[in-house]
Amino acid sequence: MAFTLNVNGTDMEVDAAPETPLLWALRDHLRLTGTKFGCGIAQCGACTVDIDGVATRSCQFPVEAAEGVKITTIEGLGAEGEHVLQKVWTEMNVPQCGYCQSGMVMAAAALLKDIPEPSDADIDLYVDNICRCGTYPRVRQAIHRAAELLKA
Amino acid sequence: MTEHMKLSRRGFISTMLGTGGALVMGLSRPVVAATLGAKPWDSFGEGAAFTPWLQIDPTGKVTVYVTHPDIGNGVVTQACSYIREELACRWEDIRAEYAAPERDHALGGVYSEVGGPLGYFSGRSTFEDRRTAYMTAAAGARERLKAAAAEAWGVDASEITAEEGVLSHASGQSAPYAEFVAAAAAVTLAEEPAPKPREEWTFLTKASPAKIQIPEIVTGRAVYGLDVRPPGMVYAALRQSPVMGGQLVSYDFEAIRDMPGVRAVVEVKPTEPGEPDRIKPAFPLGASVTGSAIAVIADHYWQARTALDALPVVWDDGPGAKWLNIEMMEEAAMAAVRAPGETVELSVGDVAAEFEAGGTVVEAEYLTPYCDHVQLEPLNCTALITENSAEVWAPAQHTQQAFFVTVQETGLAPEQVKLHQTYVGGGFGRRVFGDDTRMAVAVAKGYPGVPVQVIWSREESVRQGRYRPLMGAHMKARLDDDGLPSALQMRVSGGPGFFSNGLANTAFPLVVPNAQIESTVVRDFHIKAGPLRGPGYNSFVFFHESFIDELAEAAGADPLDYRIRIYEKWEDEGWVKILNVLKEKSGWGTPLPTGQARGVAIGNWGMGGRPQHGTTLGAVVHAEVSTEGRVKVHRIDVAFDSGRVMNRDAVQVQLEGGAIFGLNLAMNEKLNVQNGRIVEGNYDEYPLIRMADTPEIHIHFEGLTDHDRYDEIGEPPVGPVGPALASAIAQITGKRPRSQPYREHDLSWGGGEA
Repeated sequence: MAFTLNVNGTDMEVDAAPETPLLWALRDHLRLTGTKFGCGIAQCGACTVDIDGVATRSCQFPVEAAEGVKITTIEGLGAEGEHVLQKVWTEMNVPQCGYCQSGMVMAAAALLKDIPEPSDADIDLYVDNICRCGTYPRVRQAIHRAAELLKA
Repeated sequence: MTEHMKLSRRGFISTMLGTGGALVMGLSRPVVAATLGAKPWDSFGEGAAFTPWLQIDPTGKVTVYVTHPDIGNGVVTQACSYIREELACRWEDIRAEYAAPERDHALGGVYSEVGGPLGYFSGRSTFEDRRTAYMTAAAGARERLKAAAAEAWGVDASEITAEEGVLSHASGQSAPYAEFVAAAAAVTLAEEPAPKPREEWTFLTKASPAKIQIPEIVTGRAVYGLDVRPPGMVYAALRQSPVMGGQLVSYDFEAIRDMPGVRAVVEVKPTEPGEPDRIKPAFPLGASVTGSAIAVIADHYWQARTALDALPVVWDDGPGAKWLNIEMMEEAAMAAVRAPGETVELSVGDVAAEFEAGGTVVEAEYLTPYCDHVQLEPLNCTALITENSAEVWAPAQHTQQAFFVTVQETGLAPEQVKLHQTYVGGGFGRRVFGDDTRMAVAVAKGYPGVPVQVIWSREESVRQGRYRPLMGAHMKARLDDDGLPSALQMRVSGGPGFFSNGLANTAFPLVVPNAQIESTVVRDFHIKAGPLRGPGYNSFVFFHESFIDELAEAAGADPLDYRIRIYEKWEDEGWVKILNVLKEKSGWGTPLPTGQARGVAIGNWGMGGRPQHGTTLGAVVHAEVSTEGRVKVHRIDVAFDSGRVMNRDAVQVQLEGGAIFGLNLAMNEKLNVQNGRIVEGNYDEYPLIRMADTPEIHIHFEGLTDHDRYDEIGEPPVGPVGPALASAIAQITGKRPRSQPYREHDLSWGGGEA
């Protein structure tokens, strides 16, 4: 079946079974591979994208439900790394292997939109993605730093 | 071999390479793992190659060839740092490219001859031989640039300075490197310069650059194994015999033939036992053999996966099915340590005589379970196999081993194989043996002429691991009148492939006057073991340090002071230095509320029984246990001695991540077995620490002894954090967890209900 998805501000056609997870429509059909496959059961958060302003795990979001919404992936957050989180992540040496970090950044971006000056507890709540390398201390510091920069 | 190639092996050629030249060099341009920097360069392959390690293009941009995949530890950035130190170019002009193993093969081991294949195509970027190779290459290029400028300006080369990519002379002459790259490539030096001594470094150990690939990662441009998209690629969903060692009996392709996108089913037969090696590998090829498997190939992954789930498959589970549950295996491991061991690993003095002498004797048994790496990127690999060629894209942790297993599995000549190293979504030891690459190649062989991306689902990735092995230990010691052990007996066991190397990674048995260590292999364990971040070490430190804690308790001594008394007998001052730093910095001995305590432990990764080797690391864990038995870790203090450090920030983040890894291993991780199958498949059943569970972590650099080594950082924290937490738990609850993970224990206390 053909679906029209609005991804990063552009309408795109996907021909897939209705129950196909948005994750695979993005990665496989649209070749937007910045959104990662980690678990397939909405546990790890590597597949986090923004759907109408809400950080959403795309591995449990069927493509048939993705019509008529606005989807932003890591590629659309700041294609040249201009988003404050991308800058801070780079300066503060946040990623290790980096595989979970698209999802981390997308979750953090949604957090800062909702709560421009998040507390540690807010960060715990919004950014519950899994990082096997253990970058959590740096992720936390980087979110606080980004919040400071946004305030300035 | 052409003259050109022979020259290149001597370490120093400088030849202009056009596209043709690049091909002569056997350099395959990685299509996918392009540059690691912000932007790929169009000029790649057009520059001057100053040794196989380094190329400078006509605009002055520098490509560093890196042999070791970056699995998140910063090894690529470290290689670039060596070049930066000697070449004195601008940091932002450096890009990295993975060196192709086929180039190494074509040029007779031009990379692997330095430090050997094991060291050279995996981590260990800070080891001296590798550092010297990069720095020598860069120093030679710098001196050639100076010589070329000297000739143009009619001055002496020794009067020219090179700084931030600019050559200058007191006469006022000055030019960017770019201007002299071509001329420099033609320069022959009378003598190759030696790398600068440490005292003259201006970048290494001073600067702490962040990983150069981060801009690629945070924009989603970085291409991991699962992200490669060669033209015409199809997908394979993989299932291997659910019981390791089992065999496929039958399947019914007709049941899925008409499902959308389905192209084929490929059966993979187990590797023939005793198959001869077709190439000399880095790791024994036996560790990469394939088991019985089946794969559904479809246009899209979701189609392949859906069809695989619908495919009727019958397996013969084989002998492994006799293990009805993990308790049976645990009992077998423990039974093996209750009798004398098969192999004596260490024997000093007369342990039996000491035990007969009477006095205080302490005995305890410990166990660590099977654990998976659960690296975030599930196993995968993409391969295009034809009658006379193989092209493979692998998120390998050892590029050359992936190349070797491709040669082995296809039977092709090494010259017919191309291996592209991609970004790696976590390694931790899982992607070293190349069993993943080999399985993907085996599947792609069954569907030739088309690139096939073989994807392990998360469940498949977890259930078909090469695990931290299940290991049992029995410890026994006799204390002298001074409370210190006069005799130590240790018996350890595990299945085939378990790691007794951890025995050499502590000073403890080396400072007890009478010590005997024995090991036994439980041969009918069918579950495969492999290296997992600090293999062997991550169990042995738990055994040794938990037991020392029990001895301290028996001696009525403070656990930290007791360790100082034990380890001050060891001829490496780092151990006591670390313990003293921890005592001072962690708040050791200061009062804590009821239900909280601090525990300490120490170990060494890499010492191999020798002082001033490897990295010694100690940890203090401050934990709280509720009366119901819920554990919360408030703070971890880490002090360490790797001798010296190269990039302070890189070390800091590795130690933080390693501490979290060690904490999770001890607290949460265990795989169960049912009728021979691994039970857990995904993160809902195999919990990992998240942001909210992450304690405060303090890394203390004051334990460094400044001994002349830059030893490993990734593995060391994984050992001591677990036993330090066990100690804190024991102090709070009176219940000492002698097996991991601790979450399995009833840790309620003071009348609290579990």
